[in-house]
Amino acid sequence: MVQGPWAVTGPWAPNQTPEGLRRRYVRSILVLGVLLGGLLGLSVLIGEPSVLFGKAFAFLTAQAARHGVPAWALTAVSLVVPCSIVLGLIQVLPIFMVWWEMKIAAHIQVRLGPMQVGKWHGVLQTIADGIKLLLKEDIVPTGADRIIHFLAPIVVVAPAYICFAPIPFGMGGLAAVQMDVGLLFVLGISGLTVIGLLMAGWSSNNKYSVLGGLRAAAQMVSYEIPRLIALLPVVMWGGTLSLGGLMDAQQGLWRGVLPRWFIFYPVVGQISFLIFLISSIAETNRTPFDIAEAESELTSGFHTEYSGMKWAMFFLAEYAYMFLAAALGAVLFFGGGWAPWPALNFIPSFVWFFAKTFFIVFLFIWIRWSYPRLRVDRLMEFCWKFLLPWSLVNVALAGFLILMRQ
Amino acid sequence: MSYFKTVGGNAWALGKGLWITLRHMFSPAITVQYPHEKLNLSDRFRGALAFHPDICISCDMCVRACPSLCISLESKRNEETKRKDLQWYKIDFAKCNYCRLCEEICPTKPKSVHHTREYELSFTNRKEFLQEWRPEAPQPQGSDVGQIWNRFVTVGQKLGPNPKTNGSSTPSAPAAS
Repeated sequence: MVQGPWAVTGPWAPNQTPEGLRRRYVRSILVLGVLLGGLLGLSVLIGEPSVLFGKAFAFLTAQAARHGVPAWALTAVSLVVPCSIVLGLIQVLPIFMVWWEMKIAAHIQVRLGPMQVGKWHGVLQTIADGIKLLLKEDIVPTGADRIIHFLAPIVVVAPAYICFAPIPFGMGGLAAVQMDVGLLFVLGISGLTVIGLLMAGWSSNNKYSVLGGLRAAAQMVSYEIPRLIALLPVVMWGGTLSLGGLMDAQQGLWRGVLPRWFIFYPVVGQISFLIFLISSIAETNRTPFDIAEAESELTSGFHTEYSGMKWAMFFLAEYAYMFLAAALGAVLFFGGGWAPWPALNFIPSFVWFFAKTFFIVFLFIWIRWSYPRLRVDRLMEFCWKFLLPWSLVNVALAGFLILMRQ
Repeated sequence: MSYFKTVGGNAWALGKGLWITLRHMFSPAITVQYPHEKLNLSDRFRGALAFHPDICISCDMCVRACPSLCISLESKRNEETKRKDLQWYKIDFAKCNYCRLCEEICPTKPKSVHHTREYELSFTNRKEFLQEWRPEAPQPQGSDVGQIWNRFVTVGQKLGPNPKTNGSSTPSAPAAS
């Protein structure tokens, strides 16, 4: 054991020696392996959810026919149940994502992060935080526009939920709503959040909030353009705006080795993905681009004057948008529910979807905890003078490649 | 051309930054989980003062040595033994600056007033800072905080013997003297 002022005493002390460290690494890899293996086995047992839902629906139809239930009731059930499953998913996922972000941030900074709540590496930390937020006092500042102040979190959160309607969570149409213009719908609805942020900034009766709201509006409107244009090549190759259709367009292998995912398309795919990633981070107001809530300049930007559950709504919306951007990236660039090689087809498609999505979520978190914040004018310059021209060049390049193939 | 050079250089720098954070993510955390894990104290760590009324000869040396006037005691001359008997001994922990002058000046062997390796001492109000010892009851008197303090002392002793001072958790005298 290492002696000296920095040596650790107590039952954990052996972890400080090289052998102890190696043992700890092996142990954590084993624990993670068992956990992930267990989840994988469980998912293989479950199989394709679309098949399950199909069976359940067939069973329901048969029962309805036997008992004389009207057809509209069945339609209502088939609409409400998938939507509530997706809604529940979006409300539960941020709990996990916040914990994951805390742990990754801590380990990037060579800390441990939450370790106490929930016994194992603080898994229940975010649930405790959520309970705390629910119990907190709801403060409305004097001079605030009470109605708009109350409506703003709702306007922020509602589009974040609606956006998930056409996202395919796996193969076989595993989406809440089948939509032919899914991509357009998602991009269009997610743009509505700007209004909520502006409302929050304006109604708070606080100069920092107004500045934050205006900054958020300027930033989100600007970055929406390169984001949309970066997705154009995908649509050009896929020939459809439906997310399921774009996912299915990435089926198969190139020369039997490389999966036909859009990120592996020469040059165009990589540029598209990079521009999409950068502008998605800007859209979600996360750190290299978080001038809208810059703590050191604007205290908290548009949500300075919010507390308790209203504040948590903004947080929920941020994480929902992060998951949405990651899901879009997974579907459009990483083949969504398709396994990379046909040999891995025994793993159901929703596992592939979530694995790819969480990989992109990890990219988001990794980038957030690596880079400092951009200055306001540099941020705008970067969008209009760099991302936008290059996304246009990218579209031209994609058109040229398509022309060459014909 | 210089445009592409700038873009490439910046992209390279950004990638390097990501690589550094990724490398740090997989290096072991340096966090010491305090209530469960504790750092080793330095050899001559000066923790809370402890006092032994049965050893004390009431010579007043520590009272005079104390630069912050935190120690006070009262003694009474015993006509039979021709010695001073200790009446009470008080240390005001609000004033103590943990300088070890009282321990250095103490003439008894072993030292009757000395620093422990206890650093988790805490009080809940100002009166409790003033700890009092009496010969008939060798533990701090005056309030139930005395018992709390004793609990802390036992926790401090659980830190284990200091390997460099031969098993004694209270170094008897500085190495220089």
